[in-house]
Amino acid sequence: MIVLGIETSTPQTSVALGTEQGVMASMQLASKARQDDVVPILEHMLDWTGLELSHVGGVAVGLGPGLFTGLRVGVETGKTLAQVLSVPILGIPSLDVLAFGVRYTRRLIGAVIDARRGEVFHALYRGVPGGVMRVGEYGVAPPGHLAAELEAAREEVLLVGNGAILYRKELEEVGARVEFASPAQAHPQASEMVELAVPRFIREETDRSFEVLPLYLRKSDAEIAWDQRARGATA
Amino acid sequence: MKVLGIETSCDETAVAVIQDGRIILANLVASQTELHARFGGVVPEVASRAHVQALNPLMDEALERAGCRFADLDGVAVTVGPGLVGALLVGIAAAKAVAFATGADFIGVNHLEGHIYANFIEHGPPEPPYVCLVVSGGHTMLVHMPGAHAYRVLGQTLDDAAGEAFDKIARFMGLGFPGGPALDRLAREGDPSAIAFPRAMIDTGDHDFSFSGLKTAVIRHMKRESAAGRDVDLADLAASFQEAIVDVQVSKTIAAAKELGVKAVLLGGGVVANTRLRERMEKAGAEAGIGVLFPSLKLCTDNAAMIAVAGASRLARGERSPFDVAADPALELA
Ligand SMILES: [Zn+2]
Repeated sequence: MIVLGIETSTPQTSVALGTEQGVMASMQLASKARQDDVVPILEHMLDWTGLELSHVGGVAVGLGPGLFTGLRVGVETGKTLAQVLSVPILGIPSLDVLAFGVRYTRRLIGAVIDARRGEVFHALYRGVPGGVMRVGEYGVAPPGHLAAELEAAREEVLLVGNGAILYRKELEEVGARVEFASPAQAHPQASEMVELAVPRFIREETDRSFEVLPLYLRKSDAEIAWDQRARGATA
Repeated sequence: MKVLGIETSCDETAVAVIQDGRIILANLVASQTELHARFGGVVPEVASRAHVQALNPLMDEALERAGCRFADLDGVAVTVGPGLVGALLVGIAAAKAVAFATGADFIGVNHLEGHIYANFIEHGPPEPPYVCLVVSGGHTMLVHMPGAHAYRVLGQTLDDAAGEAFDKIARFMGLGFPGGPALDRLAREGDPSAIAFPRAMIDTGDHDFSFSGLKTAVIRHMKRESAAGRDVDLADLAASFQEAIVDVQVSKTIAAAKELGVKAVLLGGGVVANTRLRERMEKAGAEAGIGVLFPSLKLCTDNAAMIAVAGASRLARGERSPFDVAADPALELA
């Protein structure tokens, strides 16, 4: 079964096609200017590989958390392709994809995506046979908070993601127990996501298409301001 | 030939299916008005999130009502601007995916062109040339249209859009958001000549508009009356304010039509739902021997049928958009 993966939660757009035998095509473009280029990339990939869209049997999309606008383009493209092709869809948190990419470490894994405004999206994982297991919740916090959490864990940690690279200094304060994954792994890869998704498609653990929505973790500014006013009024 | 239209430029998620250029098979709008009401205006991030939630089920429903499947589509038309960039991108992503997966022809459409082409759905196109008045929450614009898809902007608002002025005054009067329709209803019970508000730029001889002075005059009037302990008759106030806004639009539009010698005026945009504007423009047109066209109420406000119709017209001329077409929040008509 051919699975199409789409991951756009960071400034990198990543698209891949693969099966249980491995990745057939994978393309990554890190462009800040264009966040709406999933279909053109897919068009090129199909052209160059000779594969046909009608052979795709499932669509996996990265749900974020990440940069809202680009994230929505990936999720909406994936949802609509699955809808038109009448194939199942699977939404996968982008932090899971990052952690999956470094699953062979014996350390605790911290997946960290830049959330802008001095904050990071983060979650902790442990490698298990065949993948990773998340320990704890998805969160958004200043890097200092994450550093304190890691300090408290008193364990060797491998940090992966563009948020880890951006806030290396703050996160290094935890001491010698912290190691950083390669910048080449800084963005969640669609190819990793396909590998993660294929077994789930085969087990038919898919999502209801219309319920696949981005994992925002943060309200809109207007809602935050509204909540603050409402809290002020009741206090 | 069946064309799917998708419109997500602001706070309405809209999907339509049309046939043979202008026959509506389905025209659905999922309004987000309630989501934005508490903020007193459209919040871009809230709008974008709601589009992602609403668009896919709405496409299913539109196709079901139209009695067709994705595979039956010959074209896909989508709004690429002007509008909120994050909101536009949701519709564009979906439209590209539909066109790519079905092999249907893909075309990006200017939202303002959609408002103009909404006129052709019910009336069919009259003989060009036309003068078009496009008025909405974001635009007030007079356009010369010598023929299909050809535009020359004659003038625009120098400050607030007419719809913006309506919404702001309605909010100031406590009529809620969006207040245009409520103000229209209230004005029907009032005297349009009760208060003499300024008709800005009515005699300047150009084709530009300005509404911020009028807005200030209305607010100043209300404050002065309440400071003097007098009750403001809200119906009279609404009617007088509306009359001032309508006066300027009617006289500028008819003047432009006369100047350019066109025989047809096309109205487009959400503000064209205003009953006084429709009434007065029709009357002024009749007196000047100029035909005045406006879409029915449902096709004045943002919808996807107008995008599908404008797109179908471009597709029929052999135009196509590449799949890397981008959203343009400030896209110009010409
Ligand atoms: Zn509009």
